[in-house]
Amino acid sequence: MTKKIVSFSIVIVLLLVSAVYAATTGSIKMGFFEFIGALFDEGNSQMEAIRDLRFPRIIVALFAGAALSVSGVLLQSVMRNPLADAGVIGISSGAAFVQLFIISFFPALFFMTPVLAFMGGAFACALVFALSWKSGLSPLKLILVGIAINAMFTGLTETFISLGGSLNTSAASVIGSNLTMRTWKDVSTIVTYGTVGLIAAFALYSWCNLLVLQDKTAKSLGFHVARARLLIAAVAVLLSAVSVVVAGVISFVGLLVPHISRRLVGHDHKVLIPFTALAGALLILVADTIGRTMAAPLEIPASTIMAIIGGPFLIFLLRKE
Amino acid sequence: MEIQDIIVSHDNTRNHLDGVSTTIQKGKITTIIGPNGCGKSTLLSVMSRNNIPISGNASLENKDLVHYKPKEFAKKLAIVYQQNDAPKDLTIEKLVSFGRLPHRTMLKRNEEEDAEAIEWALTCTNLLEKKDTDLEALSGGERQRVWIAMALAQQSEILCLDEPTTYLDIYYQIELLELVKALNEEHSLTIVMVLHDINQAIRYSNQIILMKAGQIIAEGAPRNVITKEVIKEVYGVQAIFNEDEQHGFYMVPLGI
Repeated sequence: MTKKIVSFSIVIVLLLVSAVYAATTGSIKMGFFEFIGALFDEGNSQMEAIRDLRFPRIIVALFAGAALSVSGVLLQSVMRNPLADAGVIGISSGAAFVQLFIISFFPALFFMTPVLAFMGGAFACALVFALSWKSGLSPLKLILVGIAINAMFTGLTETFISLGGSLNTSAASVIGSNLTMRTWKDVSTIVTYGTVGLIAAFALYSWCNLLVLQDKTAKSLGFHVARARLLIAAVAVLLSAVSVVVAGVISFVGLLVPHISRRLVGHDHKVLIPFTALAGALLILVADTIGRTMAAPLEIPASTIMAIIGGPFLIFLLRKE
Repeated sequence: MEIQDIIVSHDNTRNHLDGVSTTIQKGKITTIIGPNGCGKSTLLSVMSRNNIPISGNASLENKDLVHYKPKEFAKKLAIVYQQNDAPKDLTIEKLVSFGRLPHRTMLKRNEEEDAEAIEWALTCTNLLEKKDTDLEALSGGERQRVWIAMALAQQSEILCLDEPTTYLDIYYQIELLELVKALNEEHSLTIVMVLHDINQAIRYSNQIILMKAGQIIAEGAPRNVITKEVIKEVYGVQAIFNEDEQHGFYMVPLGI
């Protein structure tokens, strides 16, 4: 019990510290007290710039991290596979491709991007499920199928961008994930859908707990296994789709964060889901802030930093299997 | 429970259950035995609705099994499978509380009733003192009892056990069968189980169903079912039988 409380406290403190650091570091610098003072000062011009440029970016990073990590927890529960991650198994790239494809032909549907991304992600998820179901969702097989699906959608997206040339640059920016130039409009998208998704995920915690039992055991308790799987998977896809729409494809977060979180707070989803959300938010914010400040004015996208950490981590998990 | 002319095939090439009919008597211990692949576990999974037959009828209290809603059926019948997985850091009490699922709905749960049922299940299985222990810290025998406790928390009238002793040492096998007997005698649970050991089946059952190649060869009281001829026919094993006042009826296998 104490380990859980300590873990939560540390993550929350780190989250606050990183948020303040991220807000005060960059081309405009501010001290901590100066920042706190400026926060309540309407007229400060430096603060206006931070408000318009850095705050949206920080909020997007926090929500994208939380959404992707919780999406990972849900997928791992549904697929009974510790290696499932929306980025690695192609759900994110499926969401990115379908969204890009449809918006290019029907620009008027722009307001529906989250819905389109959800459809794409759901399609990719269904493909992975269908193709690895026969092997009893064996962890390695599922990952291999997922990597193939991911490669396919990434390839389709790149082809599409190459053919479309500069016409699609705005849409194309969703593919290379970069958190620069996020606006308050992006914030409202990810906060709205992200909050819905996170609350839904938490509401499903007891179902996630039951899915750790074998299917036949869960069924013998009168539990609707298939229905629970479908609903949990839908929430997982929603969470990854909305982060793709706003922050682009970021892989490995949903793999890394849940794994470490289980070590710290255990397997009970009632605790695991909230903790993963906080830890995921922290990780992406830190990754983005490092990428932004390390070689300023050049920027390294958060997704690149995640790939550099995540790749070796996946190998580590595979070796442990 | 009434079973009539059940046919089950897992692969559509042969019938794993080939026209099986029997009646499970209320309040008795019924044990299904037979050689590997004879369909004993399949028969159990038909009773627990985990296997849907191609044809035939299975009913409980004059109602077809398929007409029960999942939770409604889970209140009638609980089953413990041979192998079970759960996270290592789950506590005994937490796992056992899963057994209360059939009694809960989205909006309604009776905390008091749940707590009572869980405590009863833990007491029956002698796990009350260990209820806060994680599963990983348990021995094989204890772990099997935890799964039985979960099934007991369902508070069903029928308890099915699929080869409950298979992975246990002889000590824990006897401990488990004594538990089953006590549950039957003290709480009048109807027990249906699959066993490998013929002597254990003789000692702990009221009824034996002997199967071979998807069919029931003989059924009834142990003394009537287990005979020299039948054992030779079903298992291909020569055996002698003995009965004395101290040890009851038992079999000694001699050779093939």
